[in-house]
Amino acid sequence: MTAERLAAAIRSGERNAVDTVEAAFARIEKVDGSVGAFLELWRDEATERAAGIDSRRDEGLPLGPLAGVPTALKDNMSLAGHELNCGSRILAGYRAPYTAGAVERLVAADAVPVGRVNMDEFAMGSSCENSALATTRNPWDLTMAPGGSSGGSAAAVAAAEVPLALGSDTGGSIRQPAAFCGVVGVKPTYGRVSRYGLVAFASSLDQIGPLARNVRDAALALGTIAGPDPRDSTCSEEPVGDFLEPIEDGIEGLKVGTIREVRTSSLEGDAARRFEQALEALARCGAELVEVSVPLIETAVATYYVLANSEASANLARFDGSRYGHRAAGARSLTEMYTGSRSEGFGPEVKRRIILGTFALSSGYYDAYYGRAARIAGALRQQFTEAFEQAELLVTPTSPGGAFRLGERVDDPLAMYLSDVFTTPTSLAGIPGISVPCGLDSRGLPLGLQILARPFADGTALRAARAFERETGFECRPEPVA
Amino acid sequence: MRRIAELARLRISAREEATFAGQLSEIVDYIDQLREVDDGAASLEETEAASDTADNDLPRPAAAAGSELLDQFLDNAPASLDRFLLVPQVKATPGGDE
Repeated sequence: MTAERLAAAIRSGERNAVDTVEAAFARIEKVDGSVGAFLELWRDEATERAAGIDSRRDEGLPLGPLAGVPTALKDNMSLAGHELNCGSRILAGYRAPYTAGAVERLVAADAVPVGRVNMDEFAMGSSCENSALATTRNPWDLTMAPGGSSGGSAAAVAAAEVPLALGSDTGGSIRQPAAFCGVVGVKPTYGRVSRYGLVAFASSLDQIGPLARNVRDAALALGTIAGPDPRDSTCSEEPVGDFLEPIEDGIEGLKVGTIREVRTSSLEGDAARRFEQALEALARCGAELVEVSVPLIETAVATYYVLANSEASANLARFDGSRYGHRAAGARSLTEMYTGSRSEGFGPEVKRRIILGTFALSSGYYDAYYGRAARIAGALRQQFTEAFEQAELLVTPTSPGGAFRLGERVDDPLAMYLSDVFTTPTSLAGIPGISVPCGLDSRGLPLGLQILARPFADGTALRAARAFERETGFECRPEPVA
Repeated sequence: MRRIAELARLRISAREEATFAGQLSEIVDYIDQLREVDDGAASLEETEAASDTADNDLPRPAAAAGSELLDQFLDNAPASLDRFLLVPQVKATPGGDE
């Protein structure tokens, strides 16, 4: 059942929140041994929260739009009193003293957080394999990666363990795992959702968003978590509006652009054919297809990895063993404690990225790397603005191909980075991007269509995603967890 | 790479150095394609201004950071004493222990 229908049934008294949450835990117990999405379950607290929702309903009090919906949180979002590790050993034992803004809104809407799910360490990765804590598998084929970094969120939703999960996206970390797992993932406009209480990776790019089994649920969740928050100065005051009300209106006559520089010849397997079919489906929905040019899109991966790693090297300086998390034993000086704690606590990918970021920001290299990348990002944003003068929406494949095998790319970081080729431009431009399933590849693994919109036109992208979903009728039914 | 790692307060083992050296040079080679790109005339300041959504940089009522929050914060500390964080001395004592 969808999150929307569950909540409606719980509000009307047709279902109980307690039974709904119990059913989610039973499903998790049944399949998570093979999927490995969850790091921790919050059974007692979830049951108590659900009981509170049921009794409020029984007293005739109104319930929120996500009443009783079991929801998974990525391991980088704070829920007061609960452990939060960011997929890293360096945060072992850390308990969040407060709740993230987006999670507060979720809970205020009566959603029920049931546990935290796996991710690449500090959200750095595209397969969830950089987690120091667990291995998460793709529910469609348990030998495949679920994508990353929000791989736990995507796998939990795809395996029907929960109808809804929150993820975070810095360069594709919601959209790529959503595509790999056959679910809907939304990276909202930068500033649409509060980052308060989200562990920072690259602050100018990080954004929280929902993963769900269908577009309406994603819209419902985004409408719930979006909105201003004085505790995040980059969070926008722009009115949120209702994403669900116009979502069935279709896209008749809407101009949808393909990007000339996105070369379908470079796509893996039959991803090109699926993308062509997706364009045909959009045309059947009444979209007018046009071609636009965003030349700098080809530099986005390189630009992204300079900017994101530079910001990460600064943001991750706080993990030094003094205030929280792991502290190296036996250090004789402060510097020794910093170095020892960080060297023991961080995994290889985080170390590589901190080194790259430190290099890009170091004296003598700053302008050649960070400065240049920041200028290119600015020019890329400008090119997107111009492209959006010719089309209301843009579409690309979410990823060059479907899921890859676990272990296949762990020793080749550059190959891993290149799977972000279509998602990083959106992040750099700060615009919203949705991944919606667009069928299976020849191996039977899902592929995603990415729909992009102007800043704060998240609703238009959702409306197009819904029209596309209606037209194509994809069903997320992974056989291994049937 | 050792120097950069040192700046980032990371100790790199010989084994890590052997693996990272090739990987990092491959990544830097890839990133070097940016040198060929015409990034237009926009200065870094203009670029940053365009992306700056923080327009409410005004004083706001202080959040109620009560003693409970401080206690929770200190609960996370690897070592504390009388509501202060405890860390090793800034300079190592030659031959001495913490």
